[in-house]
Amino acid sequence: MRPNVFRPQSLQEACSLLEEHEEALVYGGGTALQILLKQGILVGSSFIDISGIPGLAEISFTDDFLRVGPMVTLRRMERSEEIRELFSLASSAYAKVANPRVRNTATVGGNIAHGDYRLDPPVALLVLGASVELTSRNSIRKVPLEEFFVDFQVTDISAGEIVTAVEIPRSIHLAGSSFVKLSSLSANDWPSASAAVGLMENDNGVHTLRLALGALAATPVMATVDIRNLNLDQTLEASLSKAMELMDPIADVRGSVKYKLRLGRVAVEEAIRSAWKEVPNGR
Amino acid sequence: MGGDLTNLEIENDAAAVGQSWQRSDLEAKVRGTFRYTADLPVPRCLYLGVHRASQPHARILNIDISSALEMPGVVRVVTGADLFGIYGELIYTGPAFADQPPIAIDKVRYVGEPIAVVVATDLITARAAADEVYVEYGELPAVLDVDDAISGSDYVHEHLRPSSVFSDLKHLQGRGETNVNYEYNLTSGDVEKAKANSDKTVSGEFWCPPTSHVAIELFSTTAWVEGNRLEVVTTTQTPSYVRQALASMLDIRLNQVRVRTQPLGGGFGSKMYDRLEPLVAAISWTYKLAVKLEITREETFVLTTRHGVAVSSQMSADSIGMIVSAEADVRYDTGAYADIGPRIASKSGMVACGPYKVANARVRSRCIYTNKTSAGPFRGFGVPQVTWSHESLVDELAREFGEDPAQFRRKNLLREGDVAPMGTVMHSADFVGCMDAVTSAIGWNTPLERARGPWRWGRGVAVGIKAVLTPTISNAVLQLNQDASATLLISTVDMGQGSDTIMAQIVAEILCLGPDQVRVVNPDTDITPYDTITAGSRSTYHTGNAVKKVAERMREKLISIAAQLLGVSETDCKLTNGGVVASSSQKYLSIDEIMQLHFGAIGTTLTTESNFTTEWIPYDKETGQSVKVTEHWFAGAAAVELGVDTRTGRIHIAHLAVAGDVGRAINPALVKQQLEGGAIMGLGHALFDEIVMDHGQMINGTLLDYQLPSVKDLPDRLTPIIIENPHQTGPFGAKGVGETAIIPIAPSIANAVRDAIGIRFTRLPLTPERLLMAMAGEGD
Repeated sequence: MRPNVFRPQSLQEACSLLEEHEEALVYGGGTALQILLKQGILVGSSFIDISGIPGLAEISFTDDFLRVGPMVTLRRMERSEEIRELFSLASSAYAKVANPRVRNTATVGGNIAHGDYRLDPPVALLVLGASVELTSRNSIRKVPLEEFFVDFQVTDISAGEIVTAVEIPRSIHLAGSSFVKLSSLSANDWPSASAAVGLMENDNGVHTLRLALGALAATPVMATVDIRNLNLDQTLEASLSKAMELMDPIADVRGSVKYKLRLGRVAVEEAIRSAWKEVPNGR
Repeated sequence: MGGDLTNLEIENDAAAVGQSWQRSDLEAKVRGTFRYTADLPVPRCLYLGVHRASQPHARILNIDISSALEMPGVVRVVTGADLFGIYGELIYTGPAFADQPPIAIDKVRYVGEPIAVVVATDLITARAAADEVYVEYGELPAVLDVDDAISGSDYVHEHLRPSSVFSDLKHLQGRGETNVNYEYNLTSGDVEKAKANSDKTVSGEFWCPPTSHVAIELFSTTAWVEGNRLEVVTTTQTPSYVRQALASMLDIRLNQVRVRTQPLGGGFGSKMYDRLEPLVAAISWTYKLAVKLEITREETFVLTTRHGVAVSSQMSADSIGMIVSAEADVRYDTGAYADIGPRIASKSGMVACGPYKVANARVRSRCIYTNKTSAGPFRGFGVPQVTWSHESLVDELAREFGEDPAQFRRKNLLREGDVAPMGTVMHSADFVGCMDAVTSAIGWNTPLERARGPWRWGRGVAVGIKAVLTPTISNAVLQLNQDASATLLISTVDMGQGSDTIMAQIVAEILCLGPDQVRVVNPDTDITPYDTITAGSRSTYHTGNAVKKVAERMREKLISIAAQLLGVSETDCKLTNGGVVASSSQKYLSIDEIMQLHFGAIGTTLTTESNFTTEWIPYDKETGQSVKVTEHWFAGAAAVELGVDTRTGRIHIAHLAVAGDVGRAINPALVKQQLEGGAIMGLGHALFDEIVMDHGQMINGTLLDYQLPSVKDLPDRLTPIIIENPHQTGPFGAKGVGETAIIPIAPSIANAVRDAIGIRFTRLPLTPERLLMAMAGEGD
C-alpha cells in the first residue's frame, strides 16, 4: 500500500528501472502528478524520482540550441537573464504558470510530459520551434513539439522513455512575440484560452506569423501564417481565420464551446497586436 | 503591606476596549507552532474510512463488505443497519428536524452520503478498504431542482421528523407527501392595493447557487471511551450542541460526554451541529473503540454547503419614489436534510424586503428538501441570498425614476426608531451612515470616465440588514489568580475572528489588566460553560455581555474583600491598575496582597460566574409579525467602482468599500479584518464561486476546479469602514461583525455592472461568460 520510490543516481539506472517497472511513474517536481494521483486520473504506486541524477537540472547553450534539462524548475525559466534576453516568449509563458510556489517546484520535463491541453509553456515552445529529447535504455530520439502532443492528455512518450531535455533552436529569429493567457474564473486559474504569437523576420522584413493556442483544443495546437506584404489588419484577418480552423474547445466548468471560441479570438488578437508593437518601425 | 498612592497611577491609562490588541494566537500561527484540533494528543486510535453514495436517491438493496473485511488491517465495517439496530430512532439527529442518520439506513438521499464505514489500523487502509465496499442500489427518481421539489410528486423523505428542540415545529410531525419542511409567512398592510396605486413596479427572478465554505482547516473528529464516559475531540463551532446531541443519541447523561475543540482554522458555518460527530461517537461508543475520522478536502465538498436560493420578487414605489410595497417568494434548497434550514428560511425571509420603510409587504419563505448535499449555515445565514434580490430590485426601481440609486435608497432606508416590515423597531443600525460612508469612500459623486478602450466603467452600491439569532444563551466563568492574572472559561470558539483576544480585552478593561494577564481557555464541555453557538455574529454581543458581567462580579468581589481588609466601606474602594485603593485614606492593596491576606496562601483563585440570555417574542404564525423578533440588528453597506472588459466579459474591481455598524469596535484592527474577510468572500460569490452540479453529481468538487478569489482577484483598493452607533445593551455598546460585510457585496457589484454596461443580472455568479454572452444578446 505504501508507495514504492526509487531514487536512481544515473540516467542509465533510471532507464533500467523504468524498463523493469513498466507501471512506474517518473517523478519530477510532483506538482501535477500529486494532483492527478489524488484525483484518480493517474494510478501508480511506484515512482522513479529523477531529482538525484546529476546534470538533469542544467541550462546550456550550444551554437544551435538552448538546451534545458528536465529538472530545471519553471521558476528558473522565468527568471534566467539569458533566456529572457534570447527567448522572452518562453520566459513570459513560464512566468504565467500557477503561482511562485508551484513554479519553484514544477519542472520543465514534468510540465511537457503532463501533456495537458491547457498548459502555458508548450504554447510558447511550439511557436519557438522547440523539440523534446526522449531517452530510453537503448535509444535517444528527438521529437518536434508539433508532433509531441498526440491527443487529449496523450503525448508521444513511449513506455520506457524519460524526457531528458527540451531544446529551443537559435535559428528561428522572432522580431516580435507575445503570450496571452485568459482565464474565465479566478485570475490564477487554468486558462480558458491562451495564445502565443511570434513574428519571423528576414532581411526583407516580417514574413511569417507563428501561432499556437492552448486550452482551445484537445492538445496545444500550432500553425504558421504567411504574412508577407500584409498590414496589421490583414495579418489579424488571416491569423484569426487560421485560428478558427485550429480551435475545437472542450466545454467544462470554465466555459462553453461558444464562449471559449470567442475568448480564443480575443487571445489571438491581443497576442498579435502586442507582438506587432515589438517590430521596429511597424514592419 | 499596603502602600501610599502618591506614586501610583490611579487611572487605568492602558484601557483595553477600543485598542487594537494583537491577536493572542498570532505568533504561534505565523511560526506554524499553533496546535489545531487534529494536532491534539489523543489515545492510540483506529482510523475510519467512509464509503459514500454514488447515487443521489436510491434504496440500498445490498452492501457487500466482504472484500473490505478481508483486507489486512481492517477491524470491522459498520453500516447504517448496524447502528439503527442498536439505537433505533435515536440515531436520527439534527438541530431543527431529527431527520439525519449519521450513515444511510434504508436509502441514500445525496451523492456523497456515508453508506459504510471501515474501521482499520491505519488511515491508508481505512480509505482503501472503503473503496472495496460494493453497494447495490435500487434507483429512485431524484429531486434535483428546488421548484420541481415543490410541484413534483417525488419525495426525499416519507414524512417530516421535527426535532423536539423547537416546539414551533411540532405541528409538522409526521406530515408526508411534501418536500417543503418549513414555511415562513410575513404579511403587513395591503400589498395588492398598494401595488395598484403605485407609480412604478419592478420585478425579478433571482438565483444564488450553492457554494462551499472551504475553510482551510479540514474536519477531524476523534472519540474514545473512558470508563462510562465518551471523550470527543472535534473541529466544531458548537461544542455545547454537540455534547447535547451525542448524549441524546447515545441516551447517556450530559456529564458522560466530553467535547473539546481547539481554535479552528476557519469555520464560516461549516463546522456546526451534526457533522462528523454523531458517526464517530456512535462507532466509538458502540464498539468501545478509540477512533479517528479525518476527511479529505474532496469529502468536505459533499459535507455541507450554502443554500442555493431562488427568489421571485417585486417592489413598487409611488410617484415621489417612496417604496410602498414589496413581495418575495423565497425558496431555500436545503438538500437531503433540513439541518438549520428552517431557521434560515424564517430569519432571512423576515428581511427579504430589505432595510426599507415598506408599509405593505408579503413574504413567503420556504425550506425545501432535494437530493443534494444538506445545506447548512453559511456566513450570512441565508441573508446574502435575499439581499441579492432586494438590492437588485431597489436599484432597478431607482433607475425607473431616473434617480441616483444612493439617493433613492437614502429616502427609503429605515432609521433609528423606525419599524421594519416584520414589526420590530430599529436601533443601533445606521444604514444611512454606512451607505454614505462607502459611497463617499469611492467618490460616488465624482466624474467617472465610462468608456476607456474596450472597458466600460460603472459604480454600484448596496445595503444589507440582518437580525441576530434570538433567543440564545452565553455563560462565563472567571478565575482571578493570586498573581493578578485571570483565566476565562467560555465555550465561544475562536475560529480566526479573534474572539479569544476580544474577550480578554473585555476582562482586562473591567479588571484593569494588561494584554498578557488574561488567558481564555479553549472550549471543553467538562470545564467551560454552555454557549448556544459560535456563529451568526453573536459572540461579541452575547458572550461579550456574559464576560463583561463576570468581570464586573469579580471586581465587586475583590472590592468587597479589600474593603474588609482595609477597614473601609465598599463604596470608598476603587479597582485600579493591579490593586484596590480606598479614596478616603489613599490606602492601597495589590491584588496579590488581597488574595494572600484573604486566603492565607499563594496560588489561590477567586471565582465568579455569569449568564447572559436574550429573549424574543415569537413571530405570529400567520403574519410573521413580532415587536421583538431579535435582540439587535446588523447594518452594512458596500460600494464599488469597476470596469467590464467588453472583449472578455471580465470584471476588474478598482475600489470596493465596505462598512458595518458595529455599535462599538472593541478591537478596531480585528473588526476591519472581519470586514475585509467578509468582503473578499462575498466577492468570490459575486464573481465565480459556485458548486456546479450535473444530475445530482458535483462536478467541481476539488480545489483545482472550485474557484476562490486569489490574491490577483482582489480589488485594487479595499476600504473597510467602521461605523459606531453604540448599542444600549451591547458590552461597551458593541455588536458583532462576522457577517456584516458579506451581505451587500454581490448586489453592489451587480449594480455597478448594470451601471457600466446597462445589463441587469439576476443569477449569480457574474462569470465573464455570462457577461459576454449577455452583451452579445445571447444571455441566459
